[in-house]
Amino acid sequence: MQVSEQKLKQTLAEVFGVPEESLTADSSMDNVPGWDSLKHLNLVLALEEQFQVSLTEEQSLEIISFPLIKEVLGEHGVVFTT
Amino acid sequence: MLPPSLAKLLATTIEQRTYAQYSSAANELRTVTPEVSKRPTYRIAVLRNFTIEPLLPVIAVEAFEAGVHPELYVGDFDSISADVFNPDSALYHFKPDFIFVAQWLDTISPAVTSRFISSKEKIAAEVDRVRQHTHELLGAIRANSKATVVFNNFPLPAETTLGILDGQSTGYQTQTIIQLNQLLLDEARAAGGTSVLDLMSLVAAHGSVHCLDHRHWHLARAPLSQKALLPIGRELGKFFRALRGKTKKCLVLDCDNTLWGGVIGEDGMSGIKLGTSYPGSTFLSFQEEILNLHDRGVILALCSKNNLADVLQVLREHPDMLLREKHFASWQINWDDKVTNLRRIANELNIGLDSFVFVDDSDFETGFVRENLPDVEVVQMPKSGSAFRAEFTRRGFFDSLTFSAEDQRRNEMYGDNRQRKQIEATSGSLQEFLAKLELEVDIGRPSELEIPRVAQLTQKTNQFNLTTRRYTEADIRAFLSNPGADVFALRLKDKVADMGLVGVAIVTYAQAVAEIDSFLLSCRVIGRGVEDALLSTIVNHGAQKKGARKVVGRYVPTAKNAQVKDFFPGHQFQPVETATETKVWEREVQAPVAPPAWIKFKTGATDAG
Repeated sequence: MQVSEQKLKQTLAEVFGVPEESLTADSSMDNVPGWDSLKHLNLVLALEEQFQVSLTEEQSLEIISFPLIKEVLGEHGVVFTT
Repeated sequence: MLPPSLAKLLATTIEQRTYAQYSSAANELRTVTPEVSKRPTYRIAVLRNFTIEPLLPVIAVEAFEAGVHPELYVGDFDSISADVFNPDSALYHFKPDFIFVAQWLDTISPAVTSRFISSKEKIAAEVDRVRQHTHELLGAIRANSKATVVFNNFPLPAETTLGILDGQSTGYQTQTIIQLNQLLLDEARAAGGTSVLDLMSLVAAHGSVHCLDHRHWHLARAPLSQKALLPIGRELGKFFRALRGKTKKCLVLDCDNTLWGGVIGEDGMSGIKLGTSYPGSTFLSFQEEILNLHDRGVILALCSKNNLADVLQVLREHPDMLLREKHFASWQINWDDKVTNLRRIANELNIGLDSFVFVDDSDFETGFVRENLPDVEVVQMPKSGSAFRAEFTRRGFFDSLTFSAEDQRRNEMYGDNRQRKQIEATSGSLQEFLAKLELEVDIGRPSELEIPRVAQLTQKTNQFNLTTRRYTEADIRAFLSNPGADVFALRLKDKVADMGLVGVAIVTYAQAVAEIDSFLLSCRVIGRGVEDALLSTIVNHGAQKKGARKVVGRYVPTAKNAQVKDFFPGHQFQPVETATETKVWEREVQAPVAPPAWIKFKTGATDAG
C-alpha cells in the first residue's frame, strides 16, 4: 500500500487534536502535546484502521515517534511517499 | 452556529464512521462551547473497571449528534466503588445527567470467566455475589443521584473452558453468564431509571472473535477492539437520542420499488414483484419490519407519485401485501412534489418534520427532500434490497426506552381520528363538533404504573410544551415525593375512544406562589380546549389547596413550541418579565379559570394530592 506522509500526519493530528503543520519528522511522545499512554492506544486503533494493518504487542509499544511509526508500518508493507 | 468545518466533519463522521474521524471530531468539539453549539449541556459520567478511553471520542460525538453538548467525567481506573459509595465523591460533585457503568466480567469474577470452576454450588454463589454487587452499586447511585444509569451486561466467551462439553449443560460457562445477565436485567428494572446496554448481543452480532482484542487487554487492560467500540458508541447514542426526545415518530414510504418491486402504473397488479420468492421476498421482508414498527406505535404514511386508485387497489386486493389501508394514518398519493406532500402529511398528523423518516428509491426524490427539508431523515432504498431491512433496523431511528399501552394503541388512535373527522364533517361549527365528541377528562396524580408514561411525555412532546423540560422516571418520582410539588396527569376520552394519558403538568409551590414547571399535551389532542381543563385544575384546585395566591407560568421558546407562546397571556396572566427570551407571566389565584363547557370532568378526579 502506497500512502503519503501527509496522510500519516493527518491521522496523528486527528487523534491528538493538534494542527497537522505542527507535526514533523522529529515528532514523538516526548514533544507532541496530548500523546500520553492512553491516547497512544487510540493512536494504535486509528493507525490500524487507516492503514489496514494489525500491529503486534511489541510494535504497539514501539511506535512512539514519527520515524518509528513509519518503520513499523513499513514492515507491514506500507510505503510512504513525501 | 457551528464552524462550517466542524459541521462538515460531523456529517462525514456520521456517514462513514471511522475511528479516526470520531477522534478528530471529538477533539474539535472540545473547542466549542455550549453557547456556540446552542445545545443544552449534558453531563455524562463513565465509570469503569477497564481501560475505556478509546471509547470516549465516540461517546462525545454520538451525544452531540443526539442534540446535546456533552461534558464528560471519567472515573479512575477500576474505582467504581470509590465513586459510587461515597456521597461526597467527585462523581456526585460532577452532578451527572447520565452514568455509564462499564464493567468487565473478568475483573469482577474470574471464577465464571478465565478461571471457570465447575462446582455447581460455587458457581451459584459466585453468580449471586456479582448480582449482589450490582444491586449495591445501583442502589447507591439511586440514593445519591437522579441520573439515568446505563450499565453493560456481559459478553459470552469466545472460547469456553469446557470446549464442546460447555454447550451440554445449563450449569456450564455460557449458560451461567446468560443466567447472570438475566439477573442483572431484574436488578436494572428494580433500581428504576436504569437500563442495560446489551453487550452480550452486541458482541455476538459483531462476533466475539473480532470484538475482543487480547493485545490491548494485555498491554493496557483495554479488552474491546475497534470493531466493538464503534457499535457500543452508536448504541449509547441511541440511548441519548431516546432520552433527549430525538426519537423519530413517523415513517413515510414511497410505494413503487419501495413497498414492492416495479411500478404499479406500468406493470399492473400481476406484474409488480411482491411475494415469497426473490426479488419480491426482499420487499415482503421490509413490509414485515414496517408492520413491526407499526405495532410498536410508529405512525405510517405513504407519499407516492401515482394514481390513488392504483395504489388503493394494491393495498386492498394484492394477496401478498402485509400492509393494508388500515395501517396508514395518512397518505399523499398524487402527482405533486414530495416536499409539498411531506408538509401536508406533517400538517395533517400534527407532528414536526424532524420526527419523519422518509424512504424512497429515487435519487431525485431523496435528493430533493434532503435539500429542501433538512429536518427529515431521508433513507434511500438501494437497487438490490436483500440487506436493506437489516440495515434499516440497525439504525434504530424509532428506538425508545419505554413501550407503553399508548404506543401499542397509537395507530388505532389515528384510525379513531379519521372517525372524528367524519363527525366534524357533519357539524356546523367547531363548538358543535366539540360538544358532539363528548370529551371527558380525568386529571389527578399519576399512579405508580403511569410514571413511565409521564416521563415519556416530557421526553417526547415538542409542540404543546411550555418549558420543554425533559424528565426521567426518577425525576418524576422525586416530584411526587416532594410535598412542595404536584404532578397532574391528564387522561382523556371521548365518544370514539379512550386516548389514555395525554397531558402532564408539574407545579412547584414556594411562599404562596405556585410555579408551573411543566405544562404539556400530546399533539394528538390539541385544539379541543383540553389545556383549559388542565389549567383550571391547577389554578382552581392545586394552587388554592396549597395556599398559593399567585400562579407563575413560563414560556421557554424552542424551535418547535411557537404555537403556545401566547398561552399564558391568553389566559389572563399578567407579564412579569417578557423582554427576555424566556417569558414569565403570573395570575392571581382568586379568580378561577373557567373550564370549557363541552368538557366533562370525571368526578372526584381533581385531587392531585
